[in-house]
Amino acid sequence: MTAVTAAAGGTAVDQLARSATTEPPPRPKAKAGPLEWIVVHVVFLVVIAFFLVPFLWLLSAAFDAKASAYIQIPVEPTIMNFVKIFTEHDFARVLANSIFVAVATMILVVFTVSLAGYSLSRLDLRRKDWITYAVLLLQTMPISATMVPIYGLARQLGLRNSYLGLILIHAAIELPFLIWLMKGFFDSIPRHLEEAAWLDGRSKFRALIEIVLPLARPGLGIAAGLAFLSAWAEVLMVIILIDQDNLKTVPLAFYEAMRTQGGYTEVQYGVIAAMAVIYLLPVMVVFFMARRLMIRGLMSSTRGL
Amino acid sequence: MAVATRGRLGRNRLYLAGLSPAAFLLALFFVGPALWAVGSSFTNRALVGLDAANPRFVGLDNYTRLFSDPDFGRVILNSVIFVIGSAIIGQFVLGLLLALLLDYAQRRGFLASNLVYGAVLLAWVNPTIIAGFLWVAMFDFYNGSLNTGLGVVGAPPINWLGQGPMLAVIIANTWRGTAFTMLIFLGALRTIPSDIYEAARVDGASAFRRFWDHTLPILRPIAALTLLSVTMATFGTFILIQTLTNGGPAFQTEVIALYAFHEAFQNHAVGYGSTISVVMLALNLAFAVVFLRWSRARA
Amino acid sequence: MANVEFDQVWKRFATQTEAAVRGLSLTIPDRELLVLLGPSGCGKTTALRMLAGLEEPDGGDIRIGGKSVVGLEPKDRDVALVFQSYALYPHLSARDNIGYPLKVRNLSKAEQQAKVERVAEMLAIGHLLPRRPGQLSGGEQQRVALARAIVREPRVFLMDEPLSNLDAKLRVHTRTELKTLQRELGTTMVFVTHDQAEAMSLAHRIAVLNKGELQQIGTPDEVYDHPANVFVAEFIGSPPMNLLEATRDGDSVVAAGGWRMPSPNGAHAGAGSTSDGELTVGLRPEGIEIVTDGQPAEVVAVEPFGSEVIVDVRIGEQALKIRAEPDVRPAPGSTVALRADPDAVRLFDRSSGAALS
Repeated sequence: MTAVTAAAGGTAVDQLARSATTEPPPRPKAKAGPLEWIVVHVVFLVVIAFFLVPFLWLLSAAFDAKASAYIQIPVEPTIMNFVKIFTEHDFARVLANSIFVAVATMILVVFTVSLAGYSLSRLDLRRKDWITYAVLLLQTMPISATMVPIYGLARQLGLRNSYLGLILIHAAIELPFLIWLMKGFFDSIPRHLEEAAWLDGRSKFRALIEIVLPLARPGLGIAAGLAFLSAWAEVLMVIILIDQDNLKTVPLAFYEAMRTQGGYTEVQYGVIAAMAVIYLLPVMVVFFMARRLMIRGLMSSTRGL
Repeated sequence: MAVATRGRLGRNRLYLAGLSPAAFLLALFFVGPALWAVGSSFTNRALVGLDAANPRFVGLDNYTRLFSDPDFGRVILNSVIFVIGSAIIGQFVLGLLLALLLDYAQRRGFLASNLVYGAVLLAWVNPTIIAGFLWVAMFDFYNGSLNTGLGVVGAPPINWLGQGPMLAVIIANTWRGTAFTMLIFLGALRTIPSDIYEAARVDGASAFRRFWDHTLPILRPIAALTLLSVTMATFGTFILIQTLTNGGPAFQTEVIALYAFHEAFQNHAVGYGSTISVVMLALNLAFAVVFLRWSRARA
Repeated sequence: MANVEFDQVWKRFATQTEAAVRGLSLTIPDRELLVLLGPSGCGKTTALRMLAGLEEPDGGDIRIGGKSVVGLEPKDRDVALVFQSYALYPHLSARDNIGYPLKVRNLSKAEQQAKVERVAEMLAIGHLLPRRPGQLSGGEQQRVALARAIVREPRVFLMDEPLSNLDAKLRVHTRTELKTLQRELGTTMVFVTHDQAEAMSLAHRIAVLNKGELQQIGTPDEVYDHPANVFVAEFIGSPPMNLLEATRDGDSVVAAGGWRMPSPNGAHAGAGSTSDGELTVGLRPEGIEIVTDGQPAEVVAVEPFGSEVIVDVRIGEQALKIRAEPDVRPAPGSTVALRADPDAVRLFDRSSGAALS
């Protein structure tokens, strides 16, 4: 369990879990009275409005040639915005860069994290707790506090404007939480499975790959998904490390578009909204497919962005 | 290899080896920068000019300058206000209320509660830079959705980013982060079997009584930890504020993360910027230690 | 202390097509222990919850002590409910759990204390009072739940399968205790279970339900000896009543394999029988004897139970179980002769399942 969710399982809650005996079969629910129905749905409407209005605007602006900052039914419905970002704004390159960086980071992270998670899980040291504690501590570090020193460090190591630097650094950022996550998964896989393989003569490494990893597949899936999304959304490090045009990723393009305050013509909103819609697609896909897993993953992160 | 890997010690050696790639990355990019920041904070390193080529060791000068600078006092104040507004009043309270609402609605069989749940999560799951973009548009003075909405009911438009920047960033960040506290509280609320509430009802407890006697005691243990968590998460907010106000106007929303960034990259004072970063890291470390100690005590 | 009446009670849940409770009518006199018995989904728990006030009937009336309680909140009905899961408040000690209904009624601390102590002594759980539910065993939790119900001195006790989460031995032991307790307290009790042995052992009267409808209500003896239909006949008794297809033939009844038995008196023109001659004959295991000269049957298995023996036999395709003395041990595969005790023969209409008296 993550630091936070471990915290959420406090004494009272543990007792709750233990004292709950066999649940009787779920009972059909009583109908709510009309007044209750209205009040609840009004509140729902207000909440949904607050949280969804910005997205509704995004959709309306992306498909509108004369998009504006407020929500409207598209004045001039069009998909030209989506075309323009590729023809006039070189979005294809930026998008491709983002994809490359995110995928590469994901691969590096999954490899590193499965090895580290497995090792940490099976480690048999008295001081093992210290390592776990240290990992948890690292996880709480706000990345915005490391922007300045990483800039300095990257410059000295010559890692600026290189995907090598970006990928390594971003992978490092994702490690603490994901190591913790994978450790948890490996903890739940009994050791005697790999021990049986060792007795059969397999080397530790092969046993890991052939026996343990397939069982940890759901965990690896979560780790891969989270790693991808985290790298996909990464903006802080990109700001610090990249300033060459051909290396920019999508968040950086956004960042720069917004730094130039003012100059928002109606065309701009529509175009940027179209970029945002495309940029959000992978996030939506993963979100809908793996809601529960994503939540569990993001829940443990206490870093600000 | 066979001999070396047999036995506990041998296996441990292998496991430590397995940890090494991760350890290497973490050392290089977590520990390394922290050390670099500390080191740099004792110099007057800059991005341009003389001090860029030959940074000098200046001892604690940066620190004394920082702690005696009224600007820094302002920054701290801003950060505190932001955290109180967005984390405590915003995310914590709103998250709690939403959790109570959704728990109640789900137990009563209101299907629309799934929509609400999804909407809150969507705001949390999307990349921060997008959240920034969305709210820049929302707060737009002439055409933003908020002011347009005000116009519809006949109210005058508000210059959100100009005259109420702190409020604006608090709203935007609350929008973004509420799902976190909501999920924690909802998780706790869901552990209560409906039977308990029914038993209380048969025992004679009114709805208010049921909430007070049975719901609150469940939430109390995790409230403190959740509060600390969300405070820590909000403390380092950077991108959202930068895209909305960039710390302005006139320093009104300059929080500590932005201050470090601006000092280092706008004023080119990397050494000074490192100093601020070190202070951030130290504060965060203090919070983190308290947090971990509390959470271990609970578990 | 009060009597309970269900008057044509109907309940349908919005999410289900079939009604959970259909036209339930029964009267429970004061001080009686009535068991609502039936398979899961038969509506017994729904009926109990409507009595408690946790659900409201769609039609009909429910009365306690002569006055309708429909629409009243549970607390205004003066009933206590013991849940199947016990529903103990996990964050409160056993003492506070038991005292909670008193606390809600704003009794003074001293009074609460006194009543809790008294009930704890009655159930021998005094030593458990400071503990939390999580620190108690299933049986101990059950007693605390019981104590919480008793301490309120309600008019009616309602119990929703309170013993089903206990292990077998404890269940039997607690059953006896409950029976004694109810007799001592003298409070009307409505007890829901799916376990027919439990029902038989506890009840003053049993109400058998199936698919929301009352099948029969009567004392354990009545329900056992004279089941109102095939459902009750099969549900009550372990091993269950043997049921054979048969046809009427004058004064007798002919069952599988040509087995002829005398029909019980007055079964010629059974009231309401669709007398096309098609019947079902019911014989309890103890109503069949193994004799030297009678209906032949093949022995399939012999199950010794110490005090008795259950012999599984077959007549053609029909399987039967027979209760016999412990020394009766025919070899499997051999043939035995059966005789039906005329007093044990029960006739049911084959299509409707109803008993023919």
